[in-house]
Amino acid sequence: MTTTRVPLERKVLSENDRLASDLRTRFRDNGVFCLNLISSPGSGKTSLLERTLGSFDPSRRVAVLTGDIQTDCDAVRLGRFGFPVRQITTAGACHLDGRMIDRALEGWDLANMDLLFIENVGNLVCPTSYDLGEHAKVVTLSVTEGEEKPLKYPGIFFKAKLMLLNKIDLLPYVPFDKELARRNAETIHPGIEILEISCTTGQGVNDWLKWIEAAARSNAQAIGA
Amino acid sequence: MHELGIAGSVLEAVRERAATERARIIRVGVRIGPLAGVDRNSLAFCFDAIVKGSEFEPLALEVEDGAADELALSFLDLEDQ
Repeated sequence: MTTTRVPLERKVLSENDRLASDLRTRFRDNGVFCLNLISSPGSGKTSLLERTLGSFDPSRRVAVLTGDIQTDCDAVRLGRFGFPVRQITTAGACHLDGRMIDRALEGWDLANMDLLFIENVGNLVCPTSYDLGEHAKVVTLSVTEGEEKPLKYPGIFFKAKLMLLNKIDLLPYVPFDKELARRNAETIHPGIEILEISCTTGQGVNDWLKWIEAAARSNAQAIGA
Repeated sequence: MHELGIAGSVLEAVRERAATERARIIRVGVRIGPLAGVDRNSLAFCFDAIVKGSEFEPLALEVEDGAADELALSFLDLEDQ
């Protein structure tokens, strides 16, 4: 049997990429800055958002989509701050995709929103492949995990604009080499921005808030808003 | 764990092409970079599982090395008529 090879140059996830591109256009047209928060389960994404929302003025036009395989626990935790929060329950899927975001945004007026956080499903692998139309991915690594995580899960550390090193209040109690973790992240992604924080004590949270404002500003300038 | 979804997207691309292609598609090539976060064995396992019983059976998957986080369809092999 003879065969003919036909070249086929396109991304595997082109359908998701198309949806993400539509989302990005909608975010841009409405002046929404969107961050996709990714980490292992238990690194502190929800605690980070609690700290973040708790620090915002009630007039702040911010909203949160939070993804989990099951339960609306996170939406309940985050809903207490008075900002719009929606839970996306993936019922088994290990990541959020563009279609889920598109559906979850239904009924929200993006024109009344400046900042959107998407808390992805706790997982360092699968969410990496799915563009959600965000302006930046933020990866959280906590000091109760291993320093080698950036090397073990290079994809997300390569794609993330910022790495948050969380739970630094626990450094005296755990054998975590913070400098090694930084070096490992920089090996995978030279120039990655790194902030040290503790969502428990609030240490470093101001730097994170400043980072958000600066990133949103530079994004707005880049698109000429 | 998301390899099943990726296998589904690959098969969907084959299905799209098959709609306008008279020759039978016998192999699909996918390029995967080291930072794509896709496990090749798992993808091959999922791909075989969803091809089985479909109109494309037997359809082979060939994985090639890609750059960085690349995850792309690279080619289709068509049976000559």
